[in-house]
Amino acid sequence: MLTADLVRPRLRLRGSELSIDMLDEHNAAWLQTAKDLIALLQKYTGQPLATWDRGLESYVGERIDYVVVRGLAKVLTDAATFTPLETPLPPVQLRERLFAYGPVFATPQLFQPRARYEVMQNAAGELGISSQDVEAALFADRAATFVLKDVGPEWTPEELIARYNLELARGVLYWASHITIEVASNYKDLWKYIKFFKLMFWAEPGRGGGYRIDLDGPISPFVSSTLRYGRQMAAFLPALLLCEQWRMVAAVHPPQGGRAANYRLDYTSSLRSHFKQSGPFDSRLEADFASEFEQKMGNKRGHWRLARESEVLLLGDTVMIPDFMLTDDRDETRKIMIELVGFWHPQYLRRKVEKVRAANCASLLLLVYKGLNVTEEAFQEAASEVLFFQNKPVLKEVMETVEKMAERLYGPRRKRARTGTKRGTSKRPRGSLINTSPTKD
Amino acid sequence: MCMGKSVYYQGGTLVLREVDAQERPPAPFKLIRERWRCEGYHYGSIQPYLEEQDVRDAVPRWQPLNLPIQEVREAHDYQVAALAAWDMAGQRGSIVLPTGAGKTFVAIQAIHRVNRSTIVVAPTIDLLHQWYARLVNAFASEVGVYYGGEKKILPLTVTTYHSAGDLIAEHGNAFKLIIFDEVHHLPAPSWGEAALMAPAPLRLGLTATYPEEHEQTNGRWRVDDLIGPIVYTKRIEDLIGQQLAHYRTQRLRVDLTTEERARYEADYATYTSFVRLRQLQRSHGPGWLMELMRLSAIDQQARRALLARQRLLQLLGSCEGKFSALDALLREYVTERVLIFTEHNAVVYDIASRHLVPPITHETGAAERKHILDGFQAGHYRVIVTSRVLNEGVDVPEAKVAVVLGGTSGAREYIQRLGRVLRKVENRQAVLFEVVARRTIEENKSQRRHTRQEGD
Repeated sequence: MLTADLVRPRLRLRGSELSIDMLDEHNAAWLQTAKDLIALLQKYTGQPLATWDRGLESYVGERIDYVVVRGLAKVLTDAATFTPLETPLPPVQLRERLFAYGPVFATPQLFQPRARYEVMQNAAGELGISSQDVEAALFADRAATFVLKDVGPEWTPEELIARYNLELARGVLYWASHITIEVASNYKDLWKYIKFFKLMFWAEPGRGGGYRIDLDGPISPFVSSTLRYGRQMAAFLPALLLCEQWRMVAAVHPPQGGRAANYRLDYTSSLRSHFKQSGPFDSRLEADFASEFEQKMGNKRGHWRLARESEVLLLGDTVMIPDFMLTDDRDETRKIMIELVGFWHPQYLRRKVEKVRAANCASLLLLVYKGLNVTEEAFQEAASEVLFFQNKPVLKEVMETVEKMAERLYGPRRKRARTGTKRGTSKRPRGSLINTSPTKD
Repeated sequence: MCMGKSVYYQGGTLVLREVDAQERPPAPFKLIRERWRCEGYHYGSIQPYLEEQDVRDAVPRWQPLNLPIQEVREAHDYQVAALAAWDMAGQRGSIVLPTGAGKTFVAIQAIHRVNRSTIVVAPTIDLLHQWYARLVNAFASEVGVYYGGEKKILPLTVTTYHSAGDLIAEHGNAFKLIIFDEVHHLPAPSWGEAALMAPAPLRLGLTATYPEEHEQTNGRWRVDDLIGPIVYTKRIEDLIGQQLAHYRTQRLRVDLTTEERARYEADYATYTSFVRLRQLQRSHGPGWLMELMRLSAIDQQARRALLARQRLLQLLGSCEGKFSALDALLREYVTERVLIFTEHNAVVYDIASRHLVPPITHETGAAERKHILDGFQAGHYRVIVTSRVLNEGVDVPEAKVAVVLGGTSGAREYIQRLGRVLRKVENRQAVLFEVVARRTIEENKSQRRHTRQEGD
C-alpha cells in the first residue's frame, strides 16, 4: 500500500471534486522507468532491504518525479518477499550475550581488556560459526537486514504502471469516510469482499436495475467523518473493479486538505483488478447438482432453466444469494430459488437458518443434508420449502417439489406459450429483483 | 430457536437484536438501517433498560484478573485519597495529578481494585513501553501490547491512542476498565473515537493538565461525557521542589575531516544559495522547509537543494569526529552509567555494533526494551544508545552521564527532557555532553539554544 507521502502529491482538487494524476500506461518515459525498476529490483535479489533502499535512491538521483519513482518501487517491493537471515540462535539472545561485554573498543582497555574483535571471535567459536556470521546475526531481526528472497510476480512495465494507478486510487480511499456504489452485476464477489473486509453496507434496489450500496462501518453514523474504515475500503476497491457496470463516489478527507471532497470512479476507468473472479461453484455438491440437472433436464428435456447465483435477497444489513435460480422457459415470472445446505459448520448453519427465516421467502427451496443436526422444526417459522437428502439431492424429487411450489405460488402452468421468447437464448433482464419483506412480524 | 431480545457488541457499537423499529428503547439508541444502535460508551447507562425489558446482555467478554500486586512502594496520602474519590464516583472519572506525582502507581492500584481485564491507552509508543514495564513489574505477570510494531492482546493490555481504535473496534468488549493516560488528548477527533467505542463501564482518566471547558469538546463529544467528571485534583504547588534535576551541560566541538569538510561546504553552498535565492524563509516563515519539499517535486534546483540538505544532515549525524569523541567519553567515564542519544536510527545501530552496547529505537520491542532498561538500572548494562526521547517517566535515574550527538530539533527536545532523567544521586552532579561539529549549522543552532537558556 502506498504511503500518504507517495499519494498526496498526485492529487488534484477542483472545487470539491478530487482527482488523481494517474500515469499513462503508454507513455514511453514511464514505461522505461517501470522497466528500469523491475530490472533493478531483480539485481538486488539476495541483498538486504537497506542495500536496495540505497540502490533505489541512487537510481532516483536528482529526478524531480521522485514521488512517482518511489511509488512504482513501493508497489514492486510490496509484492516482493524479504526474509530474515537464518541465525544459529535468535538475535535477541545473541545481543544479550554480546552486550554483556559492552562497551568494548577497537583496542584493549584497562577496564575492558578484551577488544571488540576478541569478543566477536569468542562468540563465533562458542557458536561454531565465523565472526562474519556473528556480525550478520547481531541485528538479523531488523527489517533493514532482511534479504530480498523473491521479487514477486513477473511484472511487465504496463502491469506495474496499471497496478501503481490502482494503488493510488486505493491510497485515496484510505481517507474515505463513506462510499456509495451503484452496481449491476457480479454480486456474489462483491458481497463476498464487502463481508471479507468487514464493511457495513446498506443495499437498495437501484433506479435503473442493479443496486445502490452504501458502505461504511458501525461507528460511522455517530462520527460522521470517521476515517476508521478507510483502510478496509481501500482493500475492497479491486472487488468493485470485478463488476461490469458500476459507479462509485467516495467522501474523502485527505490530510491537510480541509473540507471533504468527492472522489468518483466508474467502469470506464482504466483501472484493473488483480482479484480473481471466483469460480462458478462453491462446493462439489453444487457442481454435481448443476451437471446432473444439465444432463437430465437440460436442453429440450424440461421447461426449467437453471442459473447460478443470479438473484439477491436483501435482508436488512445482510444479503442472501441462493445457489440456483430456476426460471420457467414459457413464463419468465415463474421462478424458484434453490439453496443447498450441505456439510457445514453448526455456527454457519445457525446463521443460515436465521437468514432463511428473515428472508421469509415462499419461492425458496432448501435442500438440506440429513446428516446435519438440524430438524424440520428449525425451519418451521420460515415460509420456504425444505427437502432433506441423504447423500445428494435426488433430482426427480427436487423437480417434483419445484413443480408443486410453482403451481402453488403462480397457479397452473399455461399450456404452450406462442408468444414466449425463444428457448435457451433469452436472457433475464439484468439486476431484476425479488423484493421480500425484510423481517417477519 | 426463539432467541428473545438481546444486546451485543459490534465494532464499537451496542446493537439490539429482536427489538422492533416500533419499540422505543432509551435515548442513546438510534434506529439506523432498521437496527437500534448506540456508541459503546453508553453501556453503563443502559443497564437499567436492559434489566427492565429483560434484554439479554451479550456484551461483556471481560474476565477476572486475579493478579496480586508485587510492588512494595507505599502510597502517598494524596494517592490514597484520589483512589477513594474514584471509588466513590463509581469508578468513573479523571484524577488530576502533577507530573511525577505517581499517576502510574494510582492506575496500578485501580486495576488491582477492579480486578477485571483492563486496557491502558498511552499517547506515545515510548510511554506504552513504560507502562508495559511498570505493569509487568507491578503484577509479575505477562502484559499485552498492541500498536503498530507488536500486537498481543492479553487481559491486561497497553495500547496507544493511535492503535486503540482498531483494538477497541475488534475487542472492545474484552475490557471492563479502560485507563486513559494524558486524558487531555481525548478531544482530538481520531483519538477520542476509542473512548467513544469502548463499552468498558469503568473508566479512569489521568493527566496533569485537565482540559478547560472550551477545550473539552470538539463539537462531537466532551471528555467528561466519555470518562466521567474530575474526581480528584492535586495542585502542582503542593508537590513542587522534590524532583528538580541537578546537572551541568558541557559542549564538545569536534572538527570535520578534510574530506568531510569539502563535502559539507559543497552541500551547504547548494542548499543555502537556493534557500536564500528564493528567500524561502522570508516568504514562508516557519513553513519554509515544507515549501522546499513541495518545490523539489517541480523545480530541479529545489530538488538539488533538498538532497544537499539531506546529505548534510546525514554527514553531521555520522561524522568521524563525533564517534571519536564518544569513544573518548566512554573510556573516560568507565565506571558510570552513560546514556547516548542521536536522532539518526542508522547511527544508533552503528554505535551499538561498534561498542556492543544495547540500542533502543522504535524498532525495539516492549520486552527487549524492558530488559535493556532493567539491565541498565541493575548495572548489567553500563551504556544505552537510543534514538528515542525517553520521557521523564522512564526510569533511568542511574544515568550520570548523557551524551547527545548533534544539535538539531530532536536533540533539543531530548536535552529538555533529559534534565528530568538525570537526578541527583549521592550528591554527585550529572553531566550532559553535547557533541557538535565545529563551524557547521549545528554549532549555530546549539549556540542559539544556549543563549536562550541563559536569557530565561
